[in-house]
Amino acid sequence: MTRFLFLFPLLFISGLTARAQDSVQTRQLDSIRITARYRLRDMGMQKTSLDSMELHSDITGSLAHVLTRSSSLFIKHYGRATLSTASFRGTSPSHTQVTWNGMKINSPMLGMVDFSTIPSYFIDRADLYHGPSSVTLSSGGLGGAIALSTSTPAQEGLSLQYIQGAGSFRTFDEFLNISIRKQQWSSSIRLYFASSRNDYPYTNYRKKHFFYDDQGNVSGYEYPVERNKNGVFRDFHLLHDFFLKGSGGGTWYVSGWYSATDRGIPLLNVDYKESSSVRNNQNDNTFRGILGWRKLHNGSKLEARAGYTYTDMLYQYQRGLGDGNWADMVHSQSFVHSLFSQLEGEWYLENWMFSANITLNQHFVTSTDKAVISTQGEQSLLGYQQARLETSGFIAARYRPSERLGVSVSLREDLYGKKMTPPILSFFAEYLVSRKGQVMLKASAARNFRYPTLNDLYFMPGGNPLLKPEEGMTFDGGLSAQDKGRLVNWSGNLTGFYSRIRNWISWLPTFKGFWSPVNIRQVKSYGIEFRGSAEIHPGNNWTIGGLGNFSWTRSLNLGDPVSWADQAIGKQLVYIPEFSASFTGRVSWKQWTFTYDWTYYSERYTTSSNQTRTQLGVLGPYFMNDIALEKSFRFNHTVLHVKAIVKNLFNEAYETVLARPMPGINYTLSVGIVPLFR
Amino acid sequence: MKQINLLLTTGLLLIFLPLTSCMKYGPSQTEDFPPGPTGEGLLIINEGNFMYANASLTYYIPGSGKTENEVFFRANGINLGDVAQSLSIFEGNGYIVVNNSGVIFVIDPNTFRLKGSITGLISPRYIHFIDKRKAYVTDLYQEKITIVDPQSFRILGYIPVTGHRSTEKMVQWENFVFVTCWSYDNKILVIDTVTDRVTDSLEVGCQPTDLLLDGNGKIWCAAAGNLYRIDARSRKIEKTFPAQADGARTYLAMNASRDTLYYLNKSLWRMGTDQAATDIAPFIVLDKRTYYGLAVDPVTSHVYVADALDYVQQGKVYRFNTRGVPVDTLTTGVNPGFFCFK
Repeated sequence: MTRFLFLFPLLFISGLTARAQDSVQTRQLDSIRITARYRLRDMGMQKTSLDSMELHSDITGSLAHVLTRSSSLFIKHYGRATLSTASFRGTSPSHTQVTWNGMKINSPMLGMVDFSTIPSYFIDRADLYHGPSSVTLSSGGLGGAIALSTSTPAQEGLSLQYIQGAGSFRTFDEFLNISIRKQQWSSSIRLYFASSRNDYPYTNYRKKHFFYDDQGNVSGYEYPVERNKNGVFRDFHLLHDFFLKGSGGGTWYVSGWYSATDRGIPLLNVDYKESSSVRNNQNDNTFRGILGWRKLHNGSKLEARAGYTYTDMLYQYQRGLGDGNWADMVHSQSFVHSLFSQLEGEWYLENWMFSANITLNQHFVTSTDKAVISTQGEQSLLGYQQARLETSGFIAARYRPSERLGVSVSLREDLYGKKMTPPILSFFAEYLVSRKGQVMLKASAARNFRYPTLNDLYFMPGGNPLLKPEEGMTFDGGLSAQDKGRLVNWSGNLTGFYSRIRNWISWLPTFKGFWSPVNIRQVKSYGIEFRGSAEIHPGNNWTIGGLGNFSWTRSLNLGDPVSWADQAIGKQLVYIPEFSASFTGRVSWKQWTFTYDWTYYSERYTTSSNQTRTQLGVLGPYFMNDIALEKSFRFNHTVLHVKAIVKNLFNEAYETVLARPMPGINYTLSVGIVPLFR
Repeated sequence: MKQINLLLTTGLLLIFLPLTSCMKYGPSQTEDFPPGPTGEGLLIINEGNFMYANASLTYYIPGSGKTENEVFFRANGINLGDVAQSLSIFEGNGYIVVNNSGVIFVIDPNTFRLKGSITGLISPRYIHFIDKRKAYVTDLYQEKITIVDPQSFRILGYIPVTGHRSTEKMVQWENFVFVTCWSYDNKILVIDTVTDRVTDSLEVGCQPTDLLLDGNGKIWCAAAGNLYRIDARSRKIEKTFPAQADGARTYLAMNASRDTLYYLNKSLWRMGTDQAATDIAPFIVLDKRTYYGLAVDPVTSHVYVADALDYVQQGKVYRFNTRGVPVDTLTTGVNPGFFCFK
């Protein structure tokens, strides 16, 4: 019992405790806390936690970049500030549910999150819930879920941090954090601004410039050296967090996050249009605000949250009229207002922990395309306007009959609109095999559902109001171990998973000439995830360490064949690599730190039949090498950090997505200033 | 101590750096294709997926049943591009219109080697040749038709089509080109090829797509699930035939003697061009899915039906003889949608 009482406050304090504010200053390689903490709440779960040290390591990095480097997720992207979506255990982007300070931030229209729009410096902690574990956070995470959160300032009193980065292709990043922490309250303001021409040069192996002889016959050719067209972006974010300890042990908190993103969508490298003749652009304005109250009591916790999200997104595809004006070819705009509220409670009783919550999300969506000309030759609007209430209720019971064994069961029930998903049941268990090395066995199973997005149901044209929810069954089991010694710290986690998703929603062409979603596929995915870290302290101010991730993912289409000729059945899903791995090595000596990042994906198929002939059907294996060297200088009243980053160290020419050329070797120099006020 | 530190650092660098490896990316090999039998050969345009840049060209020899896929890529070592739309052969050159790449590639239809390209376009769809020095190019997003020179590959000018966001297929009767306006439109425009100006228009159902000219000077148009028979001289709709019960898109093709019309309506149907009503039963019963293209061999009148399957894998083309008996099945590229007989 004593242990449980000790563990209980730890759960909540962990979200509030000070974390190292500055990545350069105090980085340690075991900063990523891996799954299987011996805690009641996370019992049996496969959970990966990334803390502020890992998240705040590179000013140029969005959350997409951090997840690529530090987790087993596959992030599909084609450069900085481009759509970056996550595939968790071989599933689609909409199968990863994401919350920010407890509020769901998946688009109600599209179902997914673009991780390139989340600066990693705006998140203090990211918890990745793999497979069945995701149902404890939300339904619909058929692959998994990610909980993002901000926390109170790490240091007492006033603190300030300013980082400026300048990089290749006229890329500039600026970050400012002003925070103050007093005994009863704290306040933190973060500003982030990034801009780039993003017009990196590349040799275009998808085009040829031919030379002709006098008779007009081809006499030779060269591959043109082009620049990334239309890739310019500007990204602005402002975040304010405020915490107040109220009377009677309660804590109030308010967070507001505004972002404005203006980004070009780069032209393909097979596009022969000039960037002066077309413009392809996306503007996003988003505000997320949340107000919460939390109270810890003897053996219980109560928490209430209310929030609001506003998003407007404008996509324009325009052609130049030659006189400096532009005409819309596509003008698609959406407005989303979402209201959120949640009430949550947790109770501890002897060896038991009970928890329950109820969550409401009310969405109001307007989606229009005004570049349509009606049959009468007039401008008209095409789109939809819908509102939907989503309610989710959750209860869980966790029981630890002995020190070594823990089991839990949970039940979630969702309502969307007037429809209800079947009960979402999940089971978790863990067993401590050995105290030495904290060797622990874990297993979990869950049934899960993801209901269709508003675009799936109502998009004009093509929305299908008859869609059924996607239904998943998922299991995993694994082994974790860790040890912390004077000289060496290490940890490892090995997990196997299996899941089956029915009624997978796919958008397909119809008889009527437009695309429409249907429940068509059944997908089976299985594989292995491994995560390990080690850190050595050989003395003399040296620290050497490494963190590695490896995953093997088979994600297979087991749907009904379209016809006898269908070759897609039993094949790996498009753009899902079978193998992926990442490794980060760090060497620190005194105030110097050298970092080496290596990322690998195996080949990705671009056809459902996994056609491998020529370069049209498959993208070759991806290997990326980045290095960074940083040094901090401590003065009387200031700490100065200087960091040099080299990305694509070996200047590889490559594509991560078909026809999307990527930058060669590129450089960033960042300088961080932390005044010392004490 | 400094030496130890240096050794440690060097050793660690040596451990990390071998993790690298080169990515397979760069120039592609090219192949030579010997010319096929004279007068025989079917070129199939595989549209590919939007923004995947995986359009391709398939070559099929009906006599031998031999199929070669991705011949453009293999012959030239570069991608055909993003969303290939159509192919027309004129004066010994093949003109491949690649919609979202904004280019028309000009190839030798025997070797598939590039002879040049027409650029400066926005979203080209189809090309129609007026004479050796003039061709029209329709566009999905521009309120104008581009006039190009098929020999110099240069843009000569534009035909304004004000009020019509997109133009699609074209047929010519005497000096007049008839053009469908597809995207959220319901018009067929008439262009005088002498003045290069729109001189007339007529209204059909919503979103007209296919357009064909039969042997009797009648124009056939598919729109809003209907077939329209239009007299080219008077520019009047003579008769409307219901072709698709749910108003869905259909595809049209004409036989060698241009007196029989074929169209897709979940199955394959055909009718004489002077028939008073459509048949009660289909010519060939298909399995009621969305098919992606239709063509009839101008010599043998064999019928080709394109099947995109799930739209993200290699498609199939089913070949039937004039009695509707299956003759062959071809495996093509992704989304086979357009046929051109050599």
